[in-house]
Amino acid sequence: MNDETEQFESRLSRQPLRQIPREWRGEILGAANSPARRSEVMPASFFSVLNSQLSALFWPHPKAWAGLAAVWVFIFAVNFSMRDRTPMIAEKISPPSPEMIVELKKQQRMFAELVGSYETQDADQRKIFSPKPRSERVEILMT
Amino acid sequence: MPGSLDIERLYDEHAQPLYAFLLNFTRDEADTRDLLQEIFIKLARKPKLLDDIREERAFLIRLAHNAAIDLMRRRGTRDKTKENFAAEKLSPFAPTNDPDEKVFRAELANALGELPEEQRSVVHLKLWEGLTFEEIAAALDVPPNTAASRYRYGLDKLRERLRPLYEEMKKAE
Repeated sequence: MNDETEQFESRLSRQPLRQIPREWRGEILGAANSPARRSEVMPASFFSVLNSQLSALFWPHPKAWAGLAAVWVFIFAVNFSMRDRTPMIAEKISPPSPEMIVELKKQQRMFAELVGSYETQDADQRKIFSPKPRSERVEILMT
Repeated sequence: MPGSLDIERLYDEHAQPLYAFLLNFTRDEADTRDLLQEIFIKLARKPKLLDDIREERAFLIRLAHNAAIDLMRRRGTRDKTKENFAAEKLSPFAPTNDPDEKVFRAELANALGELPEEQRSVVHLKLWEGLTFEEIAAALDVPPNTAASRYRYGLDKLRERLRPLYEEMKKAE
């Protein structure tokens, strides 16, 4: 450290600091020794602790945090405004009417006839299997 | 629990340097008083805080520093910048009738107010409390090298800011 710096430091350190007001001694010590005032600094509530923790977290760069929050709000707004409000296609389709079913079957039959594999039996008709009692089966075998 | 005598002793030994430190930090007498009172109430309520403390002054400065930082955080939401918080208010220096000294102290107070808080604290503790960098580091909970570099940066800024006035006063002497 050179002389100039030392001189400058010395000059600064010689500047006397302001004195503490004398009347504060009684007031501050009175408050410190007062049980009522002591209770003022009793453990803080959950919300005040939370508040202080959050302020400690956000304090260093409040503008950056605010900017980030604004970007999120903007994204949500854009997302919400671009949402497709038209109902689903499936919702629009109503069940086919009986006339339409008949017409479709007619077309199917005509197509099958043209192709040559038309079966008179209704393809949609299910074969019903009804099991018979064993006694009846025996009768069938006997005959 | 320390008796009232202990609190009084603590006050008599440490209140003035704590006051000067806090005033340089807040530049507001009412805030300084509130912070000082908060510290002594805390000490009265939790006397064991000082049980294993070897350096009372450093410990109390740390309490004061933390309390001032908390206050700044609360104020930070209302004030535009922390620099403004300390720039235009009460000078930490004693008033004087000497016109040259008056101007110099006013300029010095302004220049200090323009320093970032971390540099201002270190400069204050080094120049006006005479603490070593190790003691400052312990008080502010930073490494000694950090304390030293903050001091140099702060001092350089002060010298740059006060150079014309300082040179003029040197010539006059």
